[in-house]
Order: sequence, then C-alpha cells, then structure tokens
Amino acid sequence: MKQIRIALIGQPNCGKSTLFNQIAGYRSLTANFPGATVTYIKGKTYIGNDLVEIVDLPGTYSLSWYDDAEKEAVKALFSMDIDVIVNIVDASTLIRSIEMTLELMCLGKPMVMALNMMDEAERKGIIIDTKKLSDALGIKVVPIIAKKGKGVKELLQTLKNASPPTKECIYSEEIESKIENLEQCIGENIKDKNWPVKMMAIKSIEGFKPISDMIENTPCRDELIKARKSLDNGNEIEKERHALCMDIFEDTSKLKKIRTKNSEEKIDSILMHPVLGYLVMFVLFLGVFYIVFQGGTPVENIFIDIFDKIDAFLVSAIPNKLVFSITKGAVDGIGAAIGIALPYLVPFLFIISFFEDVGYLPRVAYLMDSVLHKMGVHGTSVISFVVGYGCSVPAVMATRILKSKKEKIIAAFLASLVPCSARSTVIMGLVGYFLGYMYVIPLYMFNLVVIVISGMILKRLLPGISPEMVLDIPPYRIPSLKTVILKTWLKIKDFVYVAVPLLVAGSVLLAVISYYHLDDYINMAFEPLLSGVLGLPAAVGVVLIFGVFRKELTLLMLYQALGLSSAALVNTVMSTQQMLVFTIFVMFYIPCVATIAVLKREVGLKYSLYITIGTFVLAVILSYFVKIIISII
Amino acid sequence: MSLIDAEIGRKYKIVSISGGFLSKGRLLRLGVTPGSIIELKRAAPLSGPLMINVNGSDIVIGRGVAKKVVIEEIV
Ligand SMILES: Nc1nc2c(ncn2[C@@H]2O[C@H](COP(=O)(O)OP(=O)(O)OP(=O)(O)O)[C@@H](O)[C@H]2O)c(=O)[nH]1
Ligand SMILES: [Mg+2]
Repeated sequence: MKQIRIALIGQPNCGKSTLFNQIAGYRSLTANFPGATVTYIKGKTYIGNDLVEIVDLPGTYSLSWYDDAEKEAVKALFSMDIDVIVNIVDASTLIRSIEMTLELMCLGKPMVMALNMMDEAERKGIIIDTKKLSDALGIKVVPIIAKKGKGVKELLQTLKNASPPTKECIYSEEIESKIENLEQCIGENIKDKNWPVKMMAIKSIEGFKPISDMIENTPCRDELIKARKSLDNGNEIEKERHALCMDIFEDTSKLKKIRTKNSEEKIDSILMHPVLGYLVMFVLFLGVFYIVFQGGTPVENIFIDIFDKIDAFLVSAIPNKLVFSITKGAVDGIGAAIGIALPYLVPFLFIISFFEDVGYLPRVAYLMDSVLHKMGVHGTSVISFVVGYGCSVPAVMATRILKSKKEKIIAAFLASLVPCSARSTVIMGLVGYFLGYMYVIPLYMFNLVVIVISGMILKRLLPGISPEMVLDIPPYRIPSLKTVILKTWLKIKDFVYVAVPLLVAGSVLLAVISYYHLDDYINMAFEPLLSGVLGLPAAVGVVLIFGVFRKELTLLMLYQALGLSSAALVNTVMSTQQMLVFTIFVMFYIPCVATIAVLKREVGLKYSLYITIGTFVLAVILSYFVKIIISII
Repeated sequence: MSLIDAEIGRKYKIVSISGGFLSKGRLLRLGVTPGSIIELKRAAPLSGPLMINVNGSDIVIGRGVAKKVVIEEIV
C-alpha cells in the first residue's frame, strides 16, 4: 500500500510548524511572526499502525501567492501528490482564515480543518461552535491547541478517514453566470492538472498573473476581458467571498464581551512608542551582546585551562612529532569548539530564539520601516537581519517573504554582512576576551553603520521598485522553555554535527601541512594583501581560507596557525590593532560556502557572485580603513 | 478621505481600495476590505507605517499603501 502523505497548510503564523513538531518531533523552526517557515519540511509519524508522511509548508494567505514563500507552499501542495490536506486555522482570526479554507476546499481533496489556538480565541472572547462550523463548511473540524499538544490525537484519528468536502464551490447565480463562458473556454483550451477550471477563471479575473498569463495567448483572452469588466476586475467576487466568510463566522461563533484588561496594548504603547520604542530596542540590542559576553568569557576561561592541561599532558605522552601534531590538532579542534564557540553560541542562539518566539520582531519591523526605506528595503526585512545574527543561511532564505527582486537582493546582501553567531565568536572570543567589552560594542555599531551605508548605495545602484509592506502583527506569546531549548538545540545541532567534525579535520589538516611547512606557500600568496596592506601576521592567510568553509574556524584555528600552545596566548603575538583589523576583516569577508549556496538559489548566480566579491572588497577596504584610523589615534 | 488622514484612536469604515497595486491582494486577505471597520492605532514617526486594527487583528501598512485605502468616518 502506498504511504499516505499529509500536508499542513494554512495562513502564516497559525501554528503549522508547532503542530508538525508535535506530530513528527522537533524539526521545523517555529517563530512568532508570519513567514517563519519558507521551505517545506518532511516528517513521519504513525497513525495507529500506519506510517504516514507529514509535510510542513510555508504559510500562505491564499493560493494566489504573493511572495516566494507562498509560492513554495502552493507549488509543494500541487506537485507533491498530497493525499490529505490539513488546513490549520488560527481560531482567533477565523474570518480571514475561512477565505483560505474555501479555496482549499475547491481543490476537492480529502481535507480536515485543525482549528488551532483555541486558547487564544477563548482569551479574546471568541467562542466557536465547531460542530456548526463543520456543517457549514462540509469538512471535519478538530479543535486543537498545538502548543500544548491538545487535540492532536483526535486530529490524527480524524485524518485516517478524511474525505473530500461535501460542499461544492459555488458562487451566487449572478457571478456564476458571468464567469461561465470563461470557465468553459478555459476547460476546452487549457490543460492544467493542478488548478481547477473555476479557480483558474476566478484567479485570472482577480488579476493573478501566473494564471492570467496562461490565458493571455489563448482564445479565452476576450472572455477574460469581458468577465473582468462585468465583475469590476474581480472586486465583485472578492466582496461575495468575504461576505460569505463573515456569514459563516457569524453563524458559528459568538463574541463574548471580555474585561478589557489588555496588557498587550500597554506593552505595545511602550515598545512601539515613537521615542521610547527606539530606546528600548537599542537597550535590548546592547543588552543581548552584553549578556552573551558576560556569560561566555568565564566559561571560555575554564575550558582553555582544561585543554591547556590536556595539551601539556600530550607533550610528555607522545614522543613522535608528527603523531603529536596530529593528536594535538584534533584535541585543539574539539577544545576550540567546546571552549571557545559553544560558550557564546549557546546563549546567543537561545536569546535570538526567545526573541523570535515572543513576537517582538514584527514590532521592530514597524519601528524600522522608515529607516529601511532609505536602504531600499522595508520593515519586513528586519526578520532577515535579526535571523542573520544567528546564521546567514536562514537569513538569506528569509528574504523569500520579500516581494520584489530588488528588495530581496539588497536584503540578502545586507543580511550576509550581519555578523552571524560564528563570526560573533570571533568578536567575543578574540576582541571581547582580550580587549574587553568596550571594544565589542563599537564593532557591532560599526557593522550596523556599514550595513546602512551599503543599503543606501545599493538602493541607488539597483533598478526597480519595492512595494511597501503589509504585515500582520501577531499577539505577544510567551514561549515555553521547552520550545526555546529545542529550537536552540536545532540551531546548534548543525554546529555540533557539521562544524565540529570539520574543525577537527581542519585542525588535523593544518597540523599536517604545517608539519611539512606547506602552509608557507598559502600564506606567501596572501602575504602582500594580509601583511603588506593590512599588517596582519602572514599566518592568518590559511585560517581565512578555512573560514570560507565555516566561519567558526577563523577564530578556532587562529592560535594553532600562529603556532601558539594555548588560545590564551594570542595577545602575545597579535597587537590590539591587529586583532581589530583581523576581526573587521572576518566580519565582512566572503560569506561561508553554505551561505553562498543559498544566495545562489535565492538571488541567482550573477548576484550571488556580486555579493561574494562585494563582501571581499568591502572587507579589504574597511579593515584597511580601520588600520589607518587606529594608527592615527 | 484616505487612511493616512485618519486620526489615531478613531474608527472608520473602508469605502474602497483604489488601484491595482501589488500588495492589494494581501491587504484584502488580511481583512482590509471595503465595508470593514478599522481603527487607526498608531503611526510610526518619520513617515513610517501605520498600524490599524481590523477584526481584532493588528496590521501594519506602509504609508504609500495606506494612501490608496479610502475611508469614511463613522457617525
Ligand atoms: N497560544 C497558542 N500559541 C500557539 C499555538 N500554536 C502555535 N502557537 C504559537 O504561534 C506562533 C507561530 O507558530 P508556528 O508553528 O511557527 O506557525 P506557522 O504556521 O508554522 O508559521 P509560518 O511558518 O510563519 O507560516 C508560535 O509562537 C507558537 O508558539 C496554540 O495552540 N496556542
Ligand atoms: Mg512554520
């Protein structure tokens, strides 16, 4: 028997990924802003004795997609041979969600509605009669609270015997008669296995380009023009559909007057205040780095001590020089990963995960929109930037929720300039550790200034316009500790499984090539630039090359490359100026391979090359500039 | 009048949404449709976006888009 495939589909931020994680184990990142998931994720689970496949999709407000994330959802829905649709609906925004439900119903596939966030609807005073809703729509409705796992079992049971909607997609007679001819023409002339004919007619009348383009060069063109005229470019259809949703809502739900204690309003009035809002944002921004720094440095000290002792033991235990170098390389690699990277990575990613889940980011999008305008992007791209402090790969992918190509390119470029947590380990572990916190903050500020100026320049260089933002602001949600921990783990997993082995292999490789003095050739090639222009020790050349694979390696392999026995000795061979110049260079130069790969996917080969070269040029110019400034002071 | 002329804290009814601009579809999907009642909650400084409430959800709209939303006062 064929394995059943179930797709989770619904509007952005309605809790699809949360439900997915409940069903298939924590594998999809959740966050409290619309557009957290931008690519599909597959998982498996048992319903009874049957193994079924579950697919988490990006959220979409409609089947007529607006941005690339929505497009991904619709494409996946159409191309993946889905057997059952689970339409997740945020019960607290039922009216607008039903519009999407109606569209999905028109696909005629077995379908169940998972009415999520019942807790929030209740808090808002919305009482929904699920039985009535189910009858009105002609599909099964299961109330759930995905966050707490409530109703998930019932949902899975219902999925087993899911059937297609019992109601048909029919508009009023008036509208039906006006689309009839177009529908018939499309049925005769256009073969498309995904879109039902009536939906094609409606979408094309409403001006959804991918569909109207399909009709453009067929005999149906004239019918389309006629239908558009008689239906006020689809406004009539939209009006009727909206009215229907309102009716269904009113028939099935009651609004209870609740005491308006509204703490949310109060928080918003501070966090979104025209003056205070910016102040709080600034303090939070500094606070995050301060906490990470304060938390990380003492732990780094402890681990450096431990691994120094192990190294000392190795010297006496292994007489063979080559074997010693290799062993020490491996040990140092692990030591660097645990001792230097993790103390900063863990708190950093934890805090970012927390912020994503609380729902603060959409508020920052509101605050920053007008500033971001000057950089050719809009408030929504804030999400890319903040995610970028964690890792550049999802940050670049988050540009899928941006509409125009221009905005995407600018946001992707700027997001890759944001120091990711790996680069932050260099800032914290090198500059912070040896020079102190007062050097760390100016570095992050400097980075922000460079990003703003680069944005302003790119805005003028790139052609095209960016449509303004329309963003749904979710309510504040208190994340459970478990979710934040699991999410942090999911983000760190990649470091543990990919970066650490790479680091160990890299350290061993470096140990071997320096044993045979091969690194001299590499360093010689870079010497004119690195030593000549930037005044850095020539030995960092090989480190910077490793850094293109994984940014963590730039710091972790630094002391090894410098020929030091301990990470605590870097300041004996590098001056303050050299550390700062090195850090600035690492902050900006060439995105890591993984980032370059997603850049290519998101903005194309040409622009990903421009971005890669651009960051390198920027790194050289800026670190040279900083070198000059420091030598003047 | 258009949405950018609205007063903070007051409720209005949407009359129409003009023009075929890109984000119109999304606006409609978020419930900002002709006939709906909205409340202007706040406006960001330096010609930043507006935040409105419709059907109990908060939505942020850039000013350029807000210009195209025609509203009337509720008497
Ligand atoms: N109160 C409450 N919050 C929930 C519930 N389910 C999910 N959430 C929260 O809603 C937010 C969005 O959840 P996600 O699972 O990321 O939503 P999504 O539908 O995957 O969102 P996109 O990927 O952006 O489309 C998160 O902050 C969740 O913690 C629920 O039943 N009740
Ligand atoms: Mg999701």
